[in-house]
Amino acid sequence: MRGLYIHVPFCVKKCAYCDFYSLPDRPDLVEPYIHAVFKEATHHAGLSFQTVYLGGGTPGLLGAQGLSRLIRGLRDIFDLSRVSEATLEVNPDSTSRTLLEAARMAGINRISIGVQSLVDLELQKAGRIHTAEQAIQSILMAKKAGFHSISCDVMLGLPGQNAATLISTLKKLLDLEIQHLSLYCLSIEPDTPFSIRPPADLPSEDEQADLYAGACTLLQEKGFLHYEISNFALPGYVCLHNLNYWQGGEYLGLGPAAASHLGGKRFKNRADLESYLTNPGGFIEDEEILEIGQKTAEEAILRLRLLREGLDIGELTRRFGDDVIHPLRLRLDDLVEKELLIRSGSVYRLPDQCVLVSNPILAKVLES
Amino acid sequence: MLIFRWKMKNIRNFCIVAHIDHGKSTLADRILELTGVIHTTNNEQVLDSMDLERERGITIKAKAVRIPYRARNGENYILNLIDTPGHVDFNYEVSRSLKACEGAVLLVDATQGVEAQTIANAYLAVDAGLEIIPVINKIDLPNAMIEETRKQIEDMLGLPGGDVLLVSGKTGAGVPELLEAIVSQIPAPKGDSSAPLSCLIFDSYYDSYRGVIPHIRIFSGTLNRGDKIQVKSTGKIFEVNEIGYFTPDLMPGEKLSAGEVGYISAVIRDVGDIHVGDTIISPEHPETPAIPGFRKAKPMVFCGIYPISTNDYPKLTAALEKFQLNDSSIVFEKETSAALGHGYRLGFLGMLHMDITLERLRREYGQELIATMPSVVYKVVTHQGEELMIDNPSKFPEPQYIDHIEEPIIQARIIVPNEHIGAVMELSKSTRGTLVAMEHPDPRRALLTYEFPLAEIITGYYDKLKSVSRGYASMDYEFIGYKPGNLVKVDILVKENQVDALSYISDRESAVSKARVLIHKLRKLIPRQLFTIPLQASINGKIVAREDIAPLRKDVLAKCYGGDITRKRKLLEKQKEGKKRMKMVGTVEVPQEAFLLLLKMEE
Repeated sequence: MRGLYIHVPFCVKKCAYCDFYSLPDRPDLVEPYIHAVFKEATHHAGLSFQTVYLGGGTPGLLGAQGLSRLIRGLRDIFDLSRVSEATLEVNPDSTSRTLLEAARMAGINRISIGVQSLVDLELQKAGRIHTAEQAIQSILMAKKAGFHSISCDVMLGLPGQNAATLISTLKKLLDLEIQHLSLYCLSIEPDTPFSIRPPADLPSEDEQADLYAGACTLLQEKGFLHYEISNFALPGYVCLHNLNYWQGGEYLGLGPAAASHLGGKRFKNRADLESYLTNPGGFIEDEEILEIGQKTAEEAILRLRLLREGLDIGELTRRFGDDVIHPLRLRLDDLVEKELLIRSGSVYRLPDQCVLVSNPILAKVLES
Repeated sequence: MLIFRWKMKNIRNFCIVAHIDHGKSTLADRILELTGVIHTTNNEQVLDSMDLERERGITIKAKAVRIPYRARNGENYILNLIDTPGHVDFNYEVSRSLKACEGAVLLVDATQGVEAQTIANAYLAVDAGLEIIPVINKIDLPNAMIEETRKQIEDMLGLPGGDVLLVSGKTGAGVPELLEAIVSQIPAPKGDSSAPLSCLIFDSYYDSYRGVIPHIRIFSGTLNRGDKIQVKSTGKIFEVNEIGYFTPDLMPGEKLSAGEVGYISAVIRDVGDIHVGDTIISPEHPETPAIPGFRKAKPMVFCGIYPISTNDYPKLTAALEKFQLNDSSIVFEKETSAALGHGYRLGFLGMLHMDITLERLRREYGQELIATMPSVVYKVVTHQGEELMIDNPSKFPEPQYIDHIEEPIIQARIIVPNEHIGAVMELSKSTRGTLVAMEHPDPRRALLTYEFPLAEIITGYYDKLKSVSRGYASMDYEFIGYKPGNLVKVDILVKENQVDALSYISDRESAVSKARVLIHKLRKLIPRQLFTIPLQASINGKIVAREDIAPLRKDVLAKCYGGDITRKRKLLEKQKEGKKRMKMVGTVEVPQEAFLLLLKMEE
């Protein structure tokens, strides 16, 4: 299993909480950007992928034509014949019928919409430029364009949010019959407007925990599987591309700030469009080859995020040998004893009540 | 080199004593400059050689400088200026330095007037039988109150106001007259250069090549390079391989005779072999009596220190051993805490001494440390009549064995402007002070004499005094003995585990309210963890305060954007690193700051 990710670094406006790499909309740079992606891709020409994901930023800002050309070009460089899932991330403010139809034609079969909330006041406070109505329209538009796999991002912990507003957002989305939902906790990242001037009405830690619990109950009642800490899907609609991240699989990331995991190496492009345009893929930061102990511990913390699948220590032992896995197993068993993990057979999982406090538990799994 | 032999009548041994910040070091610099000992000062004080001293504006260790001076009568003199520490923690060291002198310049800041330490120093100088030259400093400042200060010197110190000299250490005004006064008013030393050797060690420092370098004042006899010497209190014998004086650098010579001040080097490797205040005699005359007043440094304040990581214990041991070479007044012994592991119990002369030592340990030896709350030494008397001296609350016997507890008491002299008397009295009442006397030595200020438990003083009385008097009150104190107190031990439990390093002794009356404050602060300080953490305070097994830390509800990494796994893992690793700086109490991670909480109770 191998995934292809393309990072499109343009945004109409940066959101108040966002620390991902993005730049203001620059139509003049779309063409050079696409060329640069092709150039970077040729370094890995011939690779075959099973999933594709266009994220950002706002990939929709490439325009219908840009998007088609990008995907067509990548088909020439890579083997995309066995792709079973190809996702396009869109923002409600820049979704158009032309764009969606072009995406459909180019082979995109899944749409992920940055809804965040269906309460206008919450959207405003978060610095989003779309309205609840636009978000609803974009879902309907995607359906009309023939997409049967639609995912929505919803944020938990937005300023002013409470149980009633979150549940109403979720219910409206469920009524629109979406197949997948990512529920991300707002985190205040350094150097974002929210960290510089924290909003007064951010829900407290306890309130966020209650919001999360309420959302989980609702989604499970409606038949959604809670397959990853932040992700819910109807049976058959788990996001394969993201699943591959959690399973320790390989992926290639193209574009500035994109991360890759290929041939046992993790590396990340520099978050700088200008240097990317001059030498695509030539500026690498954070390159690392993990030693075996780190590698297995990392895989353990990733797989533990998969709440249903869990971490199968037997499988890990078969791949890496008992000598390598033994210390990890001791740490895991210690956590089972403290009731911070549960074990059934050779599979370890996070207990429901520990999902939202998984950081300190996963940190203990990493401990060596 | 040729050493010019001085006639004893042309030697003057003197010191400068003053309240803190009254300009002692600046005046000393001006004297050294005027006599040509140093040429430029760049505004740096020559006698304060340690960085920390300069930062804190205080002199910690005494030193001595030999100053050649040609007086107006045409004769050449040697003035030995012996510097003294200016803080109450170092009163014993001050008394040893004074002992090496015949006279003292008592310096008073014209803008401040006589302060508490002025009085304390004047008393010490009188006790030592010194000739006192009262001097008013900072006369160049526009807010100098020369006449008022002169009157205070008369009224509060009983010194003739007419004899007071006026100087400015900053501009040098009046300093030549002061030098003349030193020559004319301070008596020359007395002593027989041919009698058996008797000299006082008034200071020392440790040189990593030459060992201990004692600073000495010879009272009788003559000490030559190559002579054998004996330390009176230990009987240890050494051979003098270098002898000389300070310019302020070391200037080796051939000998020192009665009345002179200088240093010796005698390959003294063990700091325990020689102490400030001890007497050096000749092994040929072991019957020579000790110079009175010698005592080993007596620590008044104790605290535990622990490495953050238990692996660093050997490093801490090495650092402490090295440290003690330069400051033999620090005592330490091994201590084991259930909460903090292996560490040391350190004894200090006082709070300032403790602060400085801990800062220096951290700075000079690059050691990260946890320092526990300071404690005084309690005298616990058992029903069997046993007297136990206990410097660590966690070592207290069980209450059923205790007949009564006595605690160290100090007498404080506080000078305070009239308008702040009420506030100071209120503060002193709340810190268990007993007013002994109130005098009005000048119309604007009162001199209050109080008795306090030392324990109150070390938990921040001085800072509070400064704060309630807007910085105008000054204080000095001395230890006067032990008195029974109504005291109890308060234990702190974190998730049912008693944390020995947090136990403290309190007067019964305020024990519960202090416990509540402490528990509340602990709750704010200890981060939420995966389980409920009950925090309790108990007195004799009875819980008197409790708060719970609710379990952590949310600590999760949400979005894994574009597969940036490395960043995620690093975030978790960072969290893991943060935890390494915590101390484990049972299963609870407790930040180091918790162990210093009692110190900051009132904030």
